[in-house]
Amino acid sequence: MTAQAPETGQAKACCAAAYDSDLVALVLGDAYHPGGAVLTRRLAGHLSLAPSARVLDVASGPGSTALLLAREHGVAVDGVDLGEKNLARARAAAETAGLAGRVLFHPGDAERLPFPDAVFDAVVCECAFCTFPGKEAAAAEFARVLRPGGRLGITDVTLIPGRLDERLAGLAGWVACLADARPLEEYERLLAGAGLRVSRTERHDGALAGMIGQIDARLRALLLARRAAPSPGALAALDQIDVGAILEMTALAREAVSAGTLGYALLVAGKPGAGRG
Amino acid sequence: MERTDRDEVFVEYTKSICPVCKVVLDAQVNLRGGKVYLRRRCPDHGEIEALVYGDAQAYMGSARFNKPGTVPLAFQTEVSGGCPLDCGLCPEHKQHACLAIIEVNTGCNLDCPICFAASGHQADGYAITMGQCELMLDAYVKAEGEPEVVMFSGGEPTIHPKILDFIDAARARPIGNIVLNTNGIRIASDRDFVKALKDRGVTLYFQFDGFDEATHLAIRGKDLRERKRRALDACAEAGVPVLLVAAIERGVNEHEAGPIVQYGIAHPAVRGVVFQPVTHAGRHTEFDPLTRLTNSDVIALLCEQLPDWFGPGDFFPVPCCFPSCRSICYAITDGTGVVPVPRLLNMEDYLDYVANRVLPDPQVKQALEKLWSASAVPGSAASEASLECAACGTGLPETLAGLAGKAFMIVMQDFQDAYTLNVRQLMKCCVEQVTPDGRIIPFCAYNTVGYREQVRAQMSGVDVPPDVPNATPLQPLLTAGPYGSKIAGNGNGACAGAPRTATSTGKRLP
Repeated sequence: MTAQAPETGQAKACCAAAYDSDLVALVLGDAYHPGGAVLTRRLAGHLSLAPSARVLDVASGPGSTALLLAREHGVAVDGVDLGEKNLARARAAAETAGLAGRVLFHPGDAERLPFPDAVFDAVVCECAFCTFPGKEAAAAEFARVLRPGGRLGITDVTLIPGRLDERLAGLAGWVACLADARPLEEYERLLAGAGLRVSRTERHDGALAGMIGQIDARLRALLLARRAAPSPGALAALDQIDVGAILEMTALAREAVSAGTLGYALLVAGKPGAGRG
Repeated sequence: MERTDRDEVFVEYTKSICPVCKVVLDAQVNLRGGKVYLRRRCPDHGEIEALVYGDAQAYMGSARFNKPGTVPLAFQTEVSGGCPLDCGLCPEHKQHACLAIIEVNTGCNLDCPICFAASGHQADGYAITMGQCELMLDAYVKAEGEPEVVMFSGGEPTIHPKILDFIDAARARPIGNIVLNTNGIRIASDRDFVKALKDRGVTLYFQFDGFDEATHLAIRGKDLRERKRRALDACAEAGVPVLLVAAIERGVNEHEAGPIVQYGIAHPAVRGVVFQPVTHAGRHTEFDPLTRLTNSDVIALLCEQLPDWFGPGDFFPVPCCFPSCRSICYAITDGTGVVPVPRLLNMEDYLDYVANRVLPDPQVKQALEKLWSASAVPGSAASEASLECAACGTGLPETLAGLAGKAFMIVMQDFQDAYTLNVRQLMKCCVEQVTPDGRIIPFCAYNTVGYREQVRAQMSGVDVPPDVPNATPLQPLLTAGPYGSKIAGNGNGACAGAPRTATSTGKRLP
């Protein structure tokens, strides 16, 4: 991990690798994105999902969003992710939920989606677009795989450039989300540039503050457990990182959210063309 | 003519009582200036209004944590006069008893200026017999099957000569946990007694209001600091788990909330703290009903005093009772660091009963329901198992479960008095008083409507005039009662009950 923002091209792999690690899984728990299931439900509510719909989840992580959509809306979901461990975890979760027939996870890159044109009724991408180095390419791919009239739903980190505390660069190196996040308006421009029509934007900065609080609490809980445990066991990874430094960064991140520098947003866009059947 | 808007949002139509003559009145709850107020008008005693929650947004938000009640196995009365005159329990009651209180006496080795039961060194009180205690326990078991918790209270229950026999009688029945309410005086000096409590698996509900001499004098009338310290050390030595119980009053010990929690977390005997805004029943100092302390105020005080440990979002309403009555936070701690459990889980995913969602994990939900309940006794095996299960729900490694099992509990409990009584909350009350004749009466009805006075009169053979809250607006109507509380003077309380009107039922307890 470097203190500089990761180079373009590295960020994606770095982020996928970070999300793949056991320690990150431990610290993030089930909440892989701010707002959790509540915000995912809100996003899904804007996508007009019919039970017969086919949905793509880009950067599907451990599969929480894909499984929620399949379970609560009866849709068929394809998830793509770069991380092998995440794919395995997501497939196992689908199996456990009895949804393995309707929810499939594939290795794949958001900038070269392994699907033909116009096959999805909806595309979702939660807390991941910000990490893609080729945002124009990814937006174009979303537009390409959506059928005319289909909808795109994004939730993501927003960042006002130049205002982030330097010390947060360390955190940027760690999760990469922060390295290439953009202001909400720029996400709108990127989607419009790919030929999509943005129909809704919402700020959910409180969701990000909540998640930072949760990360902070989980780290503190792990520290307590490490202090109490005679041998490190599953917590050995804690001894390799500077938890104090991370806690300092979560505090800085919280300040950045309350200052409006960092935030979280929901965007819904449509692909022009035929109305929905 | 220009029309004007009201300065409040009307949110509930309910019933309450007149704090002076106790007649049942229609009442309304309004939101004003970000706070929640209960108001009604007595035909005889005019408009009565009290602050009931200091944070309107939290009050409205708490509605979703309202769990469907469980029907008790037995009711003791029938519906005739309507709530709150049919206690109890009557078949209209919405919840079973999570916790039952057995008051063993009215006598106490203190005469505190603040005591909702108006106990003390009194010649004409009562103490229950073994036979009565057994009848009370049997009534509780009949209503609950396998009751979760019984609390022995008073008076000061530790001075009842048969208190250990009563505890044994409870232990001989299928009752999960036994809690003993105490001021700690006997605990401080009687090691054999402390050992006897340890042997019987008793948890202490230990009166502890702060560290300032002025606090002790204002609330207890004596500086008890040294005795409290000795008593808690005796509990630590013997292994008796303790919940500190702090009565918090505006202008007296608001500044002590944080230090009480810090002290409790560092003390080996202490498993939690229960904060109770002073219930203005029985004896208490004069108060302003519009600026009294509520649960949200005490939460705010604690978070201001311990900002590195707690935030208001760490306290969640308790779903078994009415959610505005009680809020709880558990904190995982090793005596130095503190992590509030609700930050590790999405509590709403489990305890929101309004949004109908797919359950994330029924076992974790059940564990959280046991923890966020009036029956939770920290340090009990059931509580530790629930905490460990909840810790599992966080996906954190198992090493944390052991630590989580010992999590520290912080409770905010605003018991209602005759000024704040809202029948809506009373109908779902899960903290019940068992009377010597085997009735089961919601604690907040027992203290407000006149049941306490009735029982005392029946048991002692001496008439007991009804208490009236020592509220500033009522001062012209008040006079001193026989046990140090205020009663209505000039025949105000003795009025035959207000006549039946559009907003008054005209009824009160006979």
